[in-house]
Amino acid sequence: MAVSNLAAKDEAEIDKEDRDLSMEKDFDIEIKIKDLCISFPDKEGGAPITALQNINLDIRQGEFISLLGPSGCGKTTLLRTIADLQQPTSGGISVRGQSPREIRLQKKYGIVFQNPVLYDWRSVRRNVCMPMEMMGIPKKERTARVTKMLELVGLMEFGKKYPHQLSGGMQQRVGIARALAIKPEILLMDEPFSALDEFTKEKLHEDLLRIWKKTNKTILFVTHNIQEAVFLSDRVVVLSPHPGRVSAVVDITLERPRSLEIKNTQEFNELVVKVRKSFESL
Amino acid sequence: MKKLRSKFNRQTITTILYPVLFGVLIAVLWQTQLLHKIIGADTFTLPLPKRIFGIITDNWSNILINVRATVIVALGGLVLGSLFGYLLAIVATVFPKWGSGGLTIASAFNAIPIIAIAPILNNLTKDFSKDPNIRSMFAKMLVVMITCTVSMSINSYRGFTELKPFSLDLMESYAAKKTAIFFKLRVPNSIPYVFTALRISVPACVISALVSEYFAEYVIGVGRQIRENIVLAQYATAWAYIAIACGIGIVMYVILLIVEGVLLKGRR
Repeated sequence: MAVSNLAAKDEAEIDKEDRDLSMEKDFDIEIKIKDLCISFPDKEGGAPITALQNINLDIRQGEFISLLGPSGCGKTTLLRTIADLQQPTSGGISVRGQSPREIRLQKKYGIVFQNPVLYDWRSVRRNVCMPMEMMGIPKKERTARVTKMLELVGLMEFGKKYPHQLSGGMQQRVGIARALAIKPEILLMDEPFSALDEFTKEKLHEDLLRIWKKTNKTILFVTHNIQEAVFLSDRVVVLSPHPGRVSAVVDITLERPRSLEIKNTQEFNELVVKVRKSFESL
Repeated sequence: MKKLRSKFNRQTITTILYPVLFGVLIAVLWQTQLLHKIIGADTFTLPLPKRIFGIITDNWSNILINVRATVIVALGGLVLGSLFGYLLAIVATVFPKWGSGGLTIASAFNAIPIIAIAPILNNLTKDFSKDPNIRSMFAKMLVVMITCTVSMSINSYRGFTELKPFSLDLMESYAAKKTAIFFKLRVPNSIPYVFTALRISVPACVISALVSEYFAEYVIGVGRQIRENIVLAQYATAWAYIAIACGIGIVMYVILLIVEGVLLKGRR
């Protein structure tokens, strides 16, 4: 009897420990996507087109996660849904226990789009300043934050320039500075470097990792470039198309901090092959 | 030296030098009467430039009175028409369901010839004031206003709605209110489109001011002087007013280009 009591007590303790662990885990989770489905009505009157089907994904706080997949796999749709720029058909997303809408209204998202979306009537400084103006942040603080952000992205001496006076890479850096200026909790990046040349892209990869390390944000990065995803991420979520669904999640075990030299290592190439194979199996 | 060379680039040559050279060539042909031989005219109906210039200098004070009247009508109509057109575009943007359709209907007004509406508006405004100069001025301004409204409303509507990809998403990601989107995105985006409209409206406002003067009740203005002098067969004086009319159009257009250059300096 005494033995069984002891065993029952042990089990209860183990259960409690498990619960505590899972609670701790849940607390660590920044974005929780559960059974998410998104479909669009067919413009020609046919059956609705399913863009995303049964997406389940947990993203941890401070994690750098990439959504990787070919065109039409719904990776941008998924990012837009997390950002509350798109509504799910069924299933749900919770961000820090709140809805994406609540998070958006609290201005906790920083978004970097495929193109830099700079307003050409505003100088670099005023572009970075723009979201803070809308948040009603006092001018003194705005100025200080703009200076800090431009320093972070290495564009201090370009503050007075206008967007058309900058290269594509510089413009995208302004976009990153603007996204970070409002001190977002989560940085959502939708193929931000896809239009850039290889040299600029590699430079920005290193810059982004440096900024990520310094700011400790959760970054959700959409890309269709395997090497880019492997180099940057903690985990790569591979999406398959028609309909868009998660087909693999690959842990990137490369040590940090990472520099471009890591691309020459066997471990990097093995991971690239592993991710590529998860595509081939689609 | 490099700076100087870049200032006088190819575009400067094509936009300024070529038209000036062409003008000088015509003036030389005209003054030497070669032009008369080419088009089969005589110096009575097409007086020499020197004589036209002489008439301008001799009648300068009279000409100024008429220039003032024409410029007031042209500028007044331009400002009223442009403001009204911009307002229409705002309404069309705020109510998008019927906005663009409504503007298409409004653009039908552009098809009405000035010659047709000028006498009608003269008649409609006859009770506006007891002073024939004022009521005449009002009627002429209305003609110019109608001419300028449509191009401004259509162009600025494009400026409000044709936004760069993702720029609305960016605003929404910051939970921007509609008023913030309007003033921080749509209005600044519309400014180059406003200047596109003005590039059409400025020459059009001068032309419609001149034509509306033809039909006005009160005899004043450069356009009216052209008509009166042709009727009296005083072709040299009529030509002097034609030259002045060209001058008004060119000066207003140059002012517009300078303002555009200053205000859109940072933009490409």
